[in-house]
Amino acid sequence: MTLLARNAYSLLSRRGLASAAASAPKATTSRLKTFKIYRWNPDKPAEKPQLKAYQVDLNNCGPMILDALLKIKNEQDATLTFRRSCREGICGSCAMNIGGRNTLACLCRIDQDESKQTKIYPLPHMYIVKDLVPDLTNFYQQYKSIKPYLHRKDYPADGKEILQSIDDRKKLDGLYECILCACCSTSCPSYWWNQEEYLGPAVLMQAYRWLIDSRDQATKMRQSMLENSMSLYRCHTIMNCTKTCPKGLNPGRSIAEIKKQLAL
Amino acid sequence: MMLSRTGFAPLNRSLGLVSRRTFQSSAKRCLTIPFLPVLPQKPGGVVGTPNDPYVPPPVSKMEGPIHWWIEKTFAVATLPLAATALIAGPLSTTYDSVFSVALLGYCYMEFHSCITDYIPKRVYGKFHNYALYLLGGGSLISLLGIYKLESEGEGITGLIHSLWTGKTTSKEVTESSK
Amino acid sequence: MPGVKKLSGLQKEVIHLYRQWVRMAHTKPIDTQPRFMNFIHEEFGKYRDLPRKDFTTIEYLLRTGSRRLQMYSQDDVKDIH
Repeated sequence: MTLLARNAYSLLSRRGLASAAASAPKATTSRLKTFKIYRWNPDKPAEKPQLKAYQVDLNNCGPMILDALLKIKNEQDATLTFRRSCREGICGSCAMNIGGRNTLACLCRIDQDESKQTKIYPLPHMYIVKDLVPDLTNFYQQYKSIKPYLHRKDYPADGKEILQSIDDRKKLDGLYECILCACCSTSCPSYWWNQEEYLGPAVLMQAYRWLIDSRDQATKMRQSMLENSMSLYRCHTIMNCTKTCPKGLNPGRSIAEIKKQLAL
Repeated sequence: MMLSRTGFAPLNRSLGLVSRRTFQSSAKRCLTIPFLPVLPQKPGGVVGTPNDPYVPPPVSKMEGPIHWWIEKTFAVATLPLAATALIAGPLSTTYDSVFSVALLGYCYMEFHSCITDYIPKRVYGKFHNYALYLLGGGSLISLLGIYKLESEGEGITGLIHSLWTGKTTSKEVTESSK
Repeated sequence: MPGVKKLSGLQKEVIHLYRQWVRMAHTKPIDTQPRFMNFIHEEFGKYRDLPRKDFTTIEYLLRTGSRRLQMYSQDDVKDIH
């Protein structure tokens, strides 16, 4: 079974490689798939945004959505704007709404059925800078407000690192992996209504990450920051965040844990 | 170049708020209640420079964990009470009073939550307070109605029971806002 | 009363933004002030013909306008060309 899957994958990657080396023999038929991409140009603000259709030959393109976007930008329309950096799901730059789901373009496979169109939008309910680039200033301000760094009054006398038991370290698993791509926050209806005041799942998960860190000594300060109606308690356990997370994390659970910690 | 201008698709079909005309509508304009005036908002929801942290609302003890406890207590208390009332039918007046008050408390807490969600002070200013007054007033009237039902009629469960079966067992069924 | 038109909230915001820009221009060195005023008139004049009901565009321009105002009102900015 696994062997079969690996075979299929190697086939796929060989096709991807074939596109890179143009001289290699390749399938003569082209499989054109239509991508509809949200376009809006800030230089002409009076023009309404629109969906533009681009056709990409799947036989000649890598397997991920980001490959298709890069191909479009390289070969068809250089004005297409989007953020991307690592192309392997670790930087969180290429978060966008693909086929109605917030995810990372570099981790989202192209649907190989060329009869279907794929629609690509920027992250929902954010102010748009251009095309697929949302304005994340507010998001980063919120992240800054939870003071995402270690607070301590005293440091070990030997001047070396602060030690932590294996169990305490294990508590941070599933929290520290967050790359702050804002997929979860922008999928949360509560965040859509009140994003100026509600912190959103991504930031709250990081708040929890510092709340349960055994080395951190500012738990009281961190907790009191959340004791109002807006910052934390606008979470209604909708769980869109967990459903959409491209890294498979569970922000919904960490928010529930914060609520438990505050209540008990 | 195949840059055909294609039709618009609503950004979020499930919301049903974003129509063809207002495809680009900024977040605020398409989420506001049409007949209420809104306060001017900070550009892009950003206060200060991009390097300033977001300032959380002031700490209020009543809106923190205590509020959460009250909300959950009402929610959890209503569940067995409602289940028993459904299964066993009309019970004693004391039981019925407890049940109706718990139900009212639960409704109040959840409507309160809706108001903080959809009519926030940041956007609507004093209309947030008006909505809260309206909710408080309505709840008081409901409480009065419950009192009347319990003292004169046969209580909530009795009322629903009689509505269901179509025959009134008591002298009069008082109508109330509940 | 003829002639006196009640302004909508958005129109008031635009005028408020314009006044903020003019106030900002008056804090600059006296010999560069006319250049700032020219710049302000040019920028506001660009979208003079925008339809009154084009809320989304006006909101966008207000957002970027106030962001640029923040940038230009820094003390380091002495002149504009």
